[in-house]
Amino acid sequence: MSTPATGGFPKRENMFEREPARRVFAGEFREIRVQFRDGTDEKSPSYALLPTGQRCNRVFLVGSMTEKKRQGEQNMYYQARIADPTGTFFVSAGSYQPEAMQQMARIEPPAFVAVVGKPSIYETPDGMVMVSIRAESITIVDREVRDCWVLETAKATLDRLDTPASGPDSALAAEKYHIDTVTYRKMVYHALTQLKF
Amino acid sequence: MDISQIVERISLKIEAKGHAADKPKIEQKLRRLIEEFGVQPEDAERTVWYDIARDYGIQLGRAAGPGDQKQINSVSTEEWVTIEGKVVVLGNSPSPSIAYSGIIADASGAIRFVVWSKASVPVIKKDSWYRFESAVVDEFKGALSLKVHSGTTVTELEVDGVLIPVITPVAELAAGVASVHVKMIQEWDVSHERMLQSGLLGDETGTVKFVIWKEEGIERLTPGSVYTIYYTLVDEFNGRHSLNINTANIVAEDGDIAVAFGTATFKGALVHIAPGSGLIKRCTVEGCNRVLSRQNYCPVHEMQPKFNYDLRVKGWLDDGERTEDVLMQREVVESLTGMTLDESKELAENNPLGMDEVFLRMRERILGRYLRCEGREIDRWLLVNSCERIHFEPTLLAELLNRTGGEVS
Repeated sequence: MSTPATGGFPKRENMFEREPARRVFAGEFREIRVQFRDGTDEKSPSYALLPTGQRCNRVFLVGSMTEKKRQGEQNMYYQARIADPTGTFFVSAGSYQPEAMQQMARIEPPAFVAVVGKPSIYETPDGMVMVSIRAESITIVDREVRDCWVLETAKATLDRLDTPASGPDSALAAEKYHIDTVTYRKMVYHALTQLKF
Repeated sequence: MDISQIVERISLKIEAKGHAADKPKIEQKLRRLIEEFGVQPEDAERTVWYDIARDYGIQLGRAAGPGDQKQINSVSTEEWVTIEGKVVVLGNSPSPSIAYSGIIADASGAIRFVVWSKASVPVIKKDSWYRFESAVVDEFKGALSLKVHSGTTVTELEVDGVLIPVITPVAELAAGVASVHVKMIQEWDVSHERMLQSGLLGDETGTVKFVIWKEEGIERLTPGSVYTIYYTLVDEFNGRHSLNINTANIVAEDGDIAVAFGTATFKGALVHIAPGSGLIKRCTVEGCNRVLSRQNYCPVHEMQPKFNYDLRVKGWLDDGERTEDVLMQREVVESLTGMTLDESKELAENNPLGMDEVFLRMRERILGRYLRCEGREIDRWLLVNSCERIHFEPTLLAELLNRTGGEVS
């Protein structure tokens, strides 16, 4: 056989599954306290553990940007508050996310925005936990996209609540969070009632 | 017949069953039968093996004796088998420990084989028929192959008649060796410097990727042409097949094939638009059409002062559970973004940001939007034929409100 037939194949890109962007309401997202790495490698992906028992490396959210602030002098970054029917997401974009930073610079609140980003959990020295999102991209969208997102996120949240606990993620969530599923259902119900038929 | 070879063969079989082989004892038994009693070596081998097997309590099932004689398509891994077939491909030996490697075929199918240098075999010639007695089948990356070792007897056969290769429909390909009747439908950019060509082949049942590696005397396939490819290697990566046709016998055919593409629909949010989307320039060399870099450099034809403009979007569509790579061509991009090719060209030519301006405007219009894309699934891409925005569905709202159990659940 010709020499390159075996063993000589170049490594194919994307042999891994890309991390999907999870849909999660602000009311659940702000309760995140657990973050872990899958593997010990420097490059192993980092996950936030949702209280409903799913790991999450990336999120997609749509909400109203209510406030935008420029922070820092040397290392300038933007910080924005983005509201959904259940609460507020804190979204930042700095020089490590140049695409998102430039997009953020051009958006003036109030506006409906769609954000793709990574969850970030930070504990202050006095024990406060800050849960935020480092944006990878942010675009202005219309109300219909926001409404579609609320529907989709309601469905994803109910799916997580209705999935019987199985696997290490839900076991860890059960240990670390003591969630009251009734409260979460009410949160979803409340979010849905904000939409018009 | 050399007695030491028979000893070796029997010993290997015993060891394969997890017992220690007592070679001097085996030899002694064989010599007694052959030299003292004038038994034919074949019969002596059989008698001694059965004898020892009985002593060890070895079940004489399918791996007994020289192995059942089998059709090539019915062998399975770790079996000892005897097959008769024609050597249809004979390759260069990749290492000194291997005397021959190639493909042997019978009327039922074909299989890769390797002859270890330690095996004592006659000279193996392409297009001759052989009997491989007591070869071992093993498996690598899902593909079976025959190992001809020092315990295998290889005899050249006198066979008249033509061997008609079995043509496998693309949808039924499995790792190993196959012959296919296909049309070349797409040429892709090569992803490796040793690669001559890669692309997509298809027949009435489906499509499959192929690769040709650079090698002296090997030629490219022509897009749109129909070929019968005899005895190509079929590799498997992540459940997807790929044909390595370097050693195959390729015959150009007349006619046409109506290729079946798998269609797929995917709904989700467009969460990323990759660089290389928007307004692009393509190489004008006939049959090339590759995307040029900003400096008008074609990966094959180098600098191209002339080019054709085109529109495309490469992105990720994400439904929260899975992310799909989507590729949209000009018509789809125009209807989705509302920006035509002509408008985009004009915008690029009259704007300080040039082609970037087109990218930025398209991103503003479609990133973060919910889309339903329908198209052909090719390799890891969804090649989008039609795409529309997803609208708010009141029925879904009603359904979900019911699911929450209402206010006082």
